[in-house]
Amino acid sequence: MNILSEFLVDRSVSPTASRNGASADQDAAVTVMHAAVRGRVRVNVSGLRNSERMKRAIEVMLTGHTWVRSASASPITGNVLILFDANKELALVIAEVAAIVRHAHTSLPATEISAARKPARPARAATARIEPALPSTPWHRMEVNEVGLLLNSSLTLGLAEHAARLALERFGPNTLPKPAPRSSLSILLGQFNSLPVLLLGASAVLSAATGGMADAVVILGVVLLNAGIGFVTEREAERTIESLMSHSQPVALVMRDGRVREVHGDSLVPGDVLTLSPGTYVPADARLIQVRELTIDESALTGESIPVRKSPEPRLGADVTLGERTNMVYMGTVVTGGSGLAMVVATGAATELGMIQALVGQARPPETPMQRQLDRLGTQMVWLSGGICMLVFGIGLLRGYGFLQMLRAAVSLAVAAVPEGLPTVATTTLSLGIRSMRRHNVLVRRLDAVETLGSVQVICLDKTGTLTINRMSVLALQADLEPIKVNQAGLYGEGGRIDPYARDGVLRLLHVAVLCNETQLSRHRDAYVLNGSATETALVQLAIDCGISVNGLRQHYRLDTVEYRAEHRNYMSTLHLTEDGHRLLAVKGAPAEVLGLCRWHMKDGVRHVLTEQERARVLEENARMAGHALRVLGFAYAEGACSEDPITYDLTWLGLAGLADPIRSGVKELIGLFHQAGIRTVMITGDQSATAYAIGKELGLNGNGQLDILDSMHLESTDPEVLSAVAQKVHIFSRVSPANKLEVVQALQHAGLVVAMTGDGINDGPALRAADIGVAMGSAGTDVAREVADVILEDDELGTMILAVSEGRTIYNNIRKSIHYLTATNLSEIAVMLSSISLGMGQPLNTMQLLWINLVTDVLPALALAVEPPEPDVLRQPPRDPSEPIIRKQDLMRFGSESLVLTAGTLAAYVYGIARYGIGPHAGTLAFTTLSVSQLLHAYSCRSDTHGVFSKERLPPNRYLNLALGGSLALQAGTLFVSGLRGLLGLVPPSPLDLAVIATGASAPFLINEATKTLRSKRRHALTSTPSIATSAAKREGNRTKEARG
Amino acid sequence: MNRNFVFSSESVTEGHPDKLCDQVADAVLDRFLQQDPFSRVVTDCAVAKGILFIASRYASRASVDVPDTARQVISQIGYEGEDFNARTCTVMTSIGELADRSQPAVDESVLDNQGIERMTARNMANVFGYACTQTPAMMPLPIWLARKLARRLASVRRQRSFSYLAPDGKTQVGIEYRDREPVRIHSITLIASQVRGQNISPDRMREDLYEAVVRPTFIDEAIAPDGKTSFHLNPEGPFLVGGPSLHSGLTGRKNAVDTYGEYSRHGESALSGKDPSRIDRVGAYAARYAAKNVVAAGLATECEVQLTYAIGQSHPVGLQLETRGTGSMSDDEIAARVLRVFDFRPAAIIRDLGLRHLPNRTKGGLYRRLAAAGHVGRLDIGLPWERIDRAAVLRDS
Repeated sequence: MNILSEFLVDRSVSPTASRNGASADQDAAVTVMHAAVRGRVRVNVSGLRNSERMKRAIEVMLTGHTWVRSASASPITGNVLILFDANKELALVIAEVAAIVRHAHTSLPATEISAARKPARPARAATARIEPALPSTPWHRMEVNEVGLLLNSSLTLGLAEHAARLALERFGPNTLPKPAPRSSLSILLGQFNSLPVLLLGASAVLSAATGGMADAVVILGVVLLNAGIGFVTEREAERTIESLMSHSQPVALVMRDGRVREVHGDSLVPGDVLTLSPGTYVPADARLIQVRELTIDESALTGESIPVRKSPEPRLGADVTLGERTNMVYMGTVVTGGSGLAMVVATGAATELGMIQALVGQARPPETPMQRQLDRLGTQMVWLSGGICMLVFGIGLLRGYGFLQMLRAAVSLAVAAVPEGLPTVATTTLSLGIRSMRRHNVLVRRLDAVETLGSVQVICLDKTGTLTINRMSVLALQADLEPIKVNQAGLYGEGGRIDPYARDGVLRLLHVAVLCNETQLSRHRDAYVLNGSATETALVQLAIDCGISVNGLRQHYRLDTVEYRAEHRNYMSTLHLTEDGHRLLAVKGAPAEVLGLCRWHMKDGVRHVLTEQERARVLEENARMAGHALRVLGFAYAEGACSEDPITYDLTWLGLAGLADPIRSGVKELIGLFHQAGIRTVMITGDQSATAYAIGKELGLNGNGQLDILDSMHLESTDPEVLSAVAQKVHIFSRVSPANKLEVVQALQHAGLVVAMTGDGINDGPALRAADIGVAMGSAGTDVAREVADVILEDDELGTMILAVSEGRTIYNNIRKSIHYLTATNLSEIAVMLSSISLGMGQPLNTMQLLWINLVTDVLPALALAVEPPEPDVLRQPPRDPSEPIIRKQDLMRFGSESLVLTAGTLAAYVYGIARYGIGPHAGTLAFTTLSVSQLLHAYSCRSDTHGVFSKERLPPNRYLNLALGGSLALQAGTLFVSGLRGLLGLVPPSPLDLAVIATGASAPFLINEATKTLRSKRRHALTSTPSIATSAAKREGNRTKEARG
Repeated sequence: MNRNFVFSSESVTEGHPDKLCDQVADAVLDRFLQQDPFSRVVTDCAVAKGILFIASRYASRASVDVPDTARQVISQIGYEGEDFNARTCTVMTSIGELADRSQPAVDESVLDNQGIERMTARNMANVFGYACTQTPAMMPLPIWLARKLARRLASVRRQRSFSYLAPDGKTQVGIEYRDREPVRIHSITLIASQVRGQNISPDRMREDLYEAVVRPTFIDEAIAPDGKTSFHLNPEGPFLVGGPSLHSGLTGRKNAVDTYGEYSRHGESALSGKDPSRIDRVGAYAARYAAKNVVAAGLATECEVQLTYAIGQSHPVGLQLETRGTGSMSDDEIAARVLRVFDFRPAAIIRDLGLRHLPNRTKGGLYRRLAAAGHVGRLDIGLPWERIDRAAVLRDS
């Protein structure tokens, strides 16, 4: 909106800069650097250097225009490159930039300007604080007619049609810029960007150069296959996300040339006079002109679920927050009641909503560690196997083998030994995880989010809409002085279920609740549509649920006058007349006050005088309901008399109704499950702390201990260090504005925790993005929330989150299993080659055999291990230590020792072969087959770190692994018994004794490895060394600091 | 015993961070007792770096918005600056419900003797009460004057007589004693914080403070500053902002200010934030009640009563009475009379002083007002333990 105001308030920046002018002389801040090409200009902007904020301002503001194709500002050089519609005057572009710059200069605080001159401090990517958006024009501080004057529009006639067209050209359509989705090319290129893949490519080239065309083709095939799988799965996921975005185009009623017209929401321009009616979205930011009982649900913007009452008066002061600007309505919010006229003051990217979307772009999520680790592990394996291959090559040369023969052997060994399956396994597993979660209605937006899900240590839960159903409901009544519980199934009193029609007291209470109520009721298809305040709607809803004909009742008791609640009068009353001249006064309001007006109460249809004890009972029940965080209303009525002022009546007391936004079913159990899985739960709410406490207690957020609540409306002004320190203890953040959710997430991250965060409002965007796992709701959420979230719960059920966690943990474990398998078997291949060549026992495996092992024994079982079902106790374990590498040192040691056992078995068979047949294909066949089979068996060993063939608890079966192993064994048998295949691999048919030796050489290592696993896991149980979150957090923080320094 | 000496006591304004914490703790207590007089509440409060920490444990039927209560206190005290104010400060509450129901909520006023006997002390405590004839309130003169100055300073700020004054402040009064009787004012120190951005010369501020705070304080006092009294009004120059953004605060760190300005002994544990079932709080009131009645009865011109409670016993296990030689009879005899007239059992104290219902009977709550300006020696509110209704019985028994 800033540009607009600039133009309107100060027209000195006229578009007169000459095309070739080296500088825009109206404003020395903008200098044209290069404008030789039509539709393309490079300008230098003073004050842009080192100012990220200026960069954003320029980019966001410029791209808000349709005629600007792209704008990129560099805070390093101070230059802005703008591509624009070639039909537009260059001067206009420059004037636009000048306006933005001047505005930014005057609106940015002096400290920011001076800071911009200093070299920017390196910000930590993970916890960079979001700077506030540029301050917008204070429309809420102006009188309505001032706004009209500024916007050249008439409050009564609206804009002229041609003026609207011109404005549309200048300000662009009223649409929010959509964040660009990842392109197919970038997804594809991403697949080749890993060291093992590059090395494979290099070795393919080498193979081709040394005449091993077949090897080269096979290697390339492996690479392409990996890339293909990765590309397809990632693109599929990206497509699903895109398809989720809704592209609804709401229409708007505007006044143009004095007539009301229906226009597309995207053609609104500043100055348009807009008609607001219930149930519609507000299509742009607008200043109210006149209203009738207008209420707006601003939860998408402010997170506040109770609608805000709006009015054009008064002119507000400077220091009012967005939620308090009652004379403004904002794009993306919903009209819940009443009607109004408003003048559009901002459209598209210039709206508050657009600003927030622009802000969302700033917060970058911390990278999940696994991809990095796998890269690092891959690199290490490359160096290790590369070194060993060199060693084999050198020893071979010394031993007198031919140069070319050894080079090719070394290269094939490298190919076999480099775990090129590693990225593939990870990618495939993660995408399979995405698929499987999709079946549970969990949509995962990024591959690595799957893995992060498994390490989540804290989950921040947005109260409204996530924990509660985001709709006020009546939860309790007191009628006939009897407490009554209300739930979806009906009313329940002390004596069981209550039929409201059989209980006069209840029925009268409901009648008065409906009559003393301004909710508009309309029928839409088969359902009633209620328009009114959240509280009144809830009362009408209860009456409808109880089977009361609301419209019939209201027709019978025609509304005569309404007395609203006032400053010192905390109740409202309505006077009703019937056809036969009968009068009814219905009163609803603060229980103590209404009770004070009453002299009577109804008991079993008879009027009694209210005694002091009965009054005390009412007040006690009132206090009890309030203590359960219910909003309590009292009801009373009078009949027959003439006055409409309740004070002159002796009212008859009916009872109480307690309302709240009810907690979703199953949430309490879910919180328990999170706690069992070692995940801390944090509730974030805009509620007062007493309400928050009642909910927190009901949900058991604190486990059993005390409940810690941090109450702050201005978290951003709290010292981040202190906030981070206390945030680790806090169960509830109360009175937090949605924008401050970011501070909560960052404070927790700063304490070294892996944070998941739920949210569905527009304002949740920055926090969702900054969280390690941002969780959005599918249907309830806004586009922005869905766009930035890592995980989308499509059925809006938070319960699926625990499934996602379980899945995430399982997938992480499974990737470990695959890596375990790949590493151990690859090491065994290297060890067999190295030891036999250095011992002078010839070359046990030829090139094709190595590639065969690589293709058959490596990939299929590794993939099958990646889809292992969850281990039984996966949700009873604490989250893994995020600072712990996916493969620890002790894991590598174990993989090494296992591979040595495998090597020993193979070498034993090979030595037997040499002894019996001498060095040659016969012994080679024994070594090859023993190694292959023992590796296949080893896959079973890799299914669990703790459970083995010797342990009591069985793992759930993995069909895919059985299939993979069966198939692989069959193929392996084929190499021995199918002559063509046998010839290609240079094998000879084995004798029965050979087969027995192979069987022994392959199964003995399996049994030995299983036995040591059982022993090891027993020893570990004795130590029970689960690292506490605190120490792991400290470690992780250390790592982050290191990374930041690096 | 040295009979000629100078003794000084300090006091602080209600905006001092320690006092702020005391007031928040007691305001929470007031709210609980107003809704449910039989609430059991322990509240501790600390403030640092603009964050208020409140730990509250309770067993109560009441529902209290603790942060809201705290914000009200902050707002009433008058913190409005950017550094610390009611609206933007962060409040961290740690709320726990007391599961221990071993002593259920009972109404002490309806208990018989055996019932009272069963209500034993649940804390070990040494509590002290003191009274003397130095002032009409039967308080030592130094703390009396120091408090009076502090209240005057606070009210001058509240009336916005000087726009530059901030809520935090401190006073100290030194009194010269001759033969254990106050004879003149030795020195007066006043430290008043000021808000940011108002340049006021130190001399001007000193003059304002003297005219608006010091002089009115002594109008109705028997002893006023003389020519030799030394004044230290903001002696170290301007005290900018003050309050929780500058220094931290903690409940129970101003026990001397709350009681007798260290002229007599005082208990170590905090008085604020504890409900009447805490003997370490109400014992101090009972001891003051006894001491004041002893002095009022003319049995001595000064009297210190010390009670020792042990967990599991209802009667105090020890009572010491010290008149510093001013008694009209032996200390032992006075002590015996005190024991005959006063029932020091915890439930009896609550009953006799009506401690559970005071917040409901006093406008704006009672305990918070105690925390703001002293728990004993208050003439501005009718405190049960300031009554001298037992003096006659003591004299005659």
